[in-house]
Amino acid sequence: MRRMRIAVVVAAALALAAAAAAAAPKGKAGPTKLTVWVGWSSATHELKSFKSLVAEYDAKHSEVQVDVVGNINDDKILAAIRGGNAPDVVSSFTPSNVGSFCTSGAWIDLAPYLNKDHINVDIFPKATQYYTQYAGKRCALPLLADTFGLYYNRTLFKKAGLTRPPKTMSELAAYAKKLTQKNADGSLKVVGYTPFSGFYDGAPVKAIRNAQSWAAQFMDAKGHSILGSDPAWAKALKWQKNLIDWYGYSKLVRFQAGLGDEFSASNAFELGKLAMAEDGEWRVAFIQNEHPGLQYGTAPMPVADDHPQLYGSGYINGTIIGIPKGVKHGDQAWALVKYLTTNSHFLAQFSNEIRNVPTTKASLTSPEIKPDPHFATFLKIFGNPKSTTSPITAVGAAYQDLIENFVVKYQAGHAKDLVGGLKNVDKQIDAQLAQAKKGGRVP
Amino acid sequence: MTDRRRARRKAAWRRRRLVLLLMSPWLVGFSVFFGYPLAMSVYLSFTHYDLLSSPRWIGFANYQYLFHTDQQIWPAVSNTLWMIGVAVPLQVLFAFGIALMVSRARSGVGIFRTIFYLPALAPPVAATLGFVYLLNPATGPVNVTLSHLGIQGPLWFQSPQWAKPSLVLLAVWGVGNTMIIFLAAIHDVPRHLYESAELDGAGPWQRLRWVTLPSISPIILFAVVLGVIQGLQYFTQAYVAANVASGQASQAGDLPANLGYPEGSTLFYPILLYQHGFRYFNMGYASAMAMLLLAVSFLVTLVIIVNSRRWVHYAGAAR
Amino acid sequence: MTTAAATAPLARRKPPLAVRRRRFLVAVANHSLLIAVAVLFLAPFAFIALTALMSTNQALSSHLWPQPFRWSNFVDVWSKAPLLRWALNTAMYSGLATLGVLVSSIPVAYALSRLRWRGRDAVFLVVLVALMLPPQVSVIPVYVLWAKLHLVGTLWPLIIPSWLGDAFSIFLLRQFFLTIPEEYLDAARVDGCGELRILTTVVLRLAKPAIAAVALFSILYTFNDYFLPLLYVGESPHHWVASIGLSQFRSLHQVQWNLTMAATLLVMAPVIVLFFLAQKAFVEGVTLTGVKG
Repeated sequence: MRRMRIAVVVAAALALAAAAAAAAPKGKAGPTKLTVWVGWSSATHELKSFKSLVAEYDAKHSEVQVDVVGNINDDKILAAIRGGNAPDVVSSFTPSNVGSFCTSGAWIDLAPYLNKDHINVDIFPKATQYYTQYAGKRCALPLLADTFGLYYNRTLFKKAGLTRPPKTMSELAAYAKKLTQKNADGSLKVVGYTPFSGFYDGAPVKAIRNAQSWAAQFMDAKGHSILGSDPAWAKALKWQKNLIDWYGYSKLVRFQAGLGDEFSASNAFELGKLAMAEDGEWRVAFIQNEHPGLQYGTAPMPVADDHPQLYGSGYINGTIIGIPKGVKHGDQAWALVKYLTTNSHFLAQFSNEIRNVPTTKASLTSPEIKPDPHFATFLKIFGNPKSTTSPITAVGAAYQDLIENFVVKYQAGHAKDLVGGLKNVDKQIDAQLAQAKKGGRVP
Repeated sequence: MTDRRRARRKAAWRRRRLVLLLMSPWLVGFSVFFGYPLAMSVYLSFTHYDLLSSPRWIGFANYQYLFHTDQQIWPAVSNTLWMIGVAVPLQVLFAFGIALMVSRARSGVGIFRTIFYLPALAPPVAATLGFVYLLNPATGPVNVTLSHLGIQGPLWFQSPQWAKPSLVLLAVWGVGNTMIIFLAAIHDVPRHLYESAELDGAGPWQRLRWVTLPSISPIILFAVVLGVIQGLQYFTQAYVAANVASGQASQAGDLPANLGYPEGSTLFYPILLYQHGFRYFNMGYASAMAMLLLAVSFLVTLVIIVNSRRWVHYAGAAR
Repeated sequence: MTTAAATAPLARRKPPLAVRRRRFLVAVANHSLLIAVAVLFLAPFAFIALTALMSTNQALSSHLWPQPFRWSNFVDVWSKAPLLRWALNTAMYSGLATLGVLVSSIPVAYALSRLRWRGRDAVFLVVLVALMLPPQVSVIPVYVLWAKLHLVGTLWPLIIPSWLGDAFSIFLLRQFFLTIPEEYLDAARVDGCGELRILTTVVLRLAKPAIAAVALFSILYTFNDYFLPLLYVGESPHHWVASIGLSQFRSLHQVQWNLTMAATLLVMAPVIVLFFLAQKAFVEGVTLTGVKG
């Protein structure tokens, strides 16, 4: 009796194991299976669009069967490459990491493939060429780009008697105060603009993206970090902290903690709880899908009062795609990467769906791109010669983590000495870069 | 005679073979998953190793960086010590207090025991998610309830001052295991000790001090040692809480520096080790960190056992 | 269970009224305090359950009571995330690891308790030391090992080690085996049983409660385990267990707190059901870890 019970337990365990094993995907004979890892979230329309467009490629190429996996981040990619179970094609939202991808060899050099197929990288816009290679090694290609600008709620603007978007940082702060509404108990009901680094932010955070609008420089010509010696940084951070202090740090944190998820239909700008927001061009498509009735406008990000010539430019970032070390089907993987990064039809279609900036010169002007006044703002920012991205270094985005750590402390009021703190960040970044030159991030 | 000796030797050999057979799973497991990794960790701690190319010998550079350059080590160490120093005594105190109250209840012992044990059963990830929600500064039930009472609640997991206390609350909520052990120990205290104490005129407080506490002091020591050991490996709750609390940010695709959120206040040593080992893949440096953890674990356990032996012995004499 | 060890024995002679009244008041105070603390301990469960029944908008407000109750949340959760897959993976990890722990640890515990051989106590000490040290100490070379075997990204790095003896289970079983009276074993030896046969018949039968406790602990441990699954299957969603899935649920599926809390409850449920099914074994097992330690 007892033995029987044990036998039952064993049998049940084995049955479960078998069921789990059977449910796992199995490699089919026939077409080569290509796995593509992307960062788009399965909960958004973006992943669905990518999948359906890749399915077109899949249908035309019987020799491969493409499997798209979403929700991937750089940690997962690096872990998989190290763990020996990397996919065939990888992509990342953090082009700053290209430095470490290329130097460590985690992403393979694409030059041989480009040469073989006679592809000249000049078909890609300048900005995107910069963040897809490091020290002469091209280990990635751009797959649509992002630019950041200002979104503003027209209904709330009208109520506050405002007619045009702010153009300078002092205007932005003044507008923000004017647009803010409070509850009876003094808590925040509607916030004009939150300059809070880390809120509704991916990497890099606002403080790093907005350096562009303040003309703040990250590094000197020799590649040394100069946050402490470039006064623009202190000015930018003081502006940010002043506005946060106007709301009250703790009130703002409380307000933000009660908001819905950034990439959901409960996004605070879409719900009218934020009157202005700095965001990427993708928001145009999100609003279209989730709140088509929202009355809003788009404009370039306001700039420092003493740098009016910068108005119209913005921060550029982008999705990058490459092939990981240890890839099993390199040629098929390359064929797919080539299609995804150079095929004008695909780029235009995908850009229409998720409203990201197309990344070949041909697709940027393609007649297939659907016109949209909101999206046009961002195409203009992308084309502005003063638009920039943050430096690509051998330590990848790690230097940005150091900046972010300090900014977050400073905006909370936990770092009193602004310039001293920035100088300490410089020291740490320089130490990190020096280590990297010796051949490793940290020892 | 030689026959008998041979027979005996044969029996001894058979016996040894039996022991070896029975012990074999552990022998293999221990060598592969403990002995070898330990030796290997020592070696790797003197190398630069990123799992992409083979380890490169760099002497003491990792240790130098560990003790002199890395600005995150000390915060991580002090966070870990803080957590052990605050959470472990509170857990023991709560577990003991509740066990004492339950043991004195005249009815409903079974129900109370179940209620206090249930939270200990909640899987750590689930419990942590629950607490990050409960303690949401804006919409969380705790702050909402407090605001009805006219109190403005703290920012909990969103504030560097309150993030660790929030984790302590979570730890205290889950004291069920320790409570059950204490409860059993209190029941095991011989009754005649209480009777003779009462005859000597001892009040309830004195009976607790001079009878109950000394009798269960080994169990308290056990709970403390276990708490410290768990404190040294504290990972899941802090990792999940930081991740979820910072989660207002970012698309799934890219993580901001959310380990230790907010402002590194929940960056515990095992989390920093994880960051270096499995996010940055500085396997050599992470091995050096593991060596330090190994040394400290040994030391802490030793100190507790040596020091408390005096205390327990003293208590034992009072019996 | 006996109750009120401190007060019961003196009931022989009726104490004076004042004393009785004081005792009564103390008992009332004790009970009230107990009930208050119990409510605090249950409150998190209650709030989690209430939130799980709210609508998305309500979960973003500061209302505490769902209006109306949205029971469909518990259905929606299943379509938002592959819960079934997580459940199957968890069952596989839990089942195979627990089986392995039992099969491998029982013989070791027996050799460490009922057989006499040189170096036994030293080996037991080593088992204890292995139990004390944080897993982070050895995790890096072990990870490298699994990476070289191309098993990172599967559940095998979690399952295989449990088939090679688990220190905690060995410790627990050994403590229990030591309490088995020698006469039972001697009787079997006189009957001509070999040690293996004694182990599989006499010892296993007598140690049933301990084995049940070890199995329960192993199931709980694997169900709750987060660090190792994060390392080995973190980037392979096909192999996610419930703990990993739940921790990623909110950020991955861009949902609000209502669905997150519904998923949280669903992950808590199996353990709590298991507890009510095997309450006695649980409490006995927990007690065993402490008192015999």
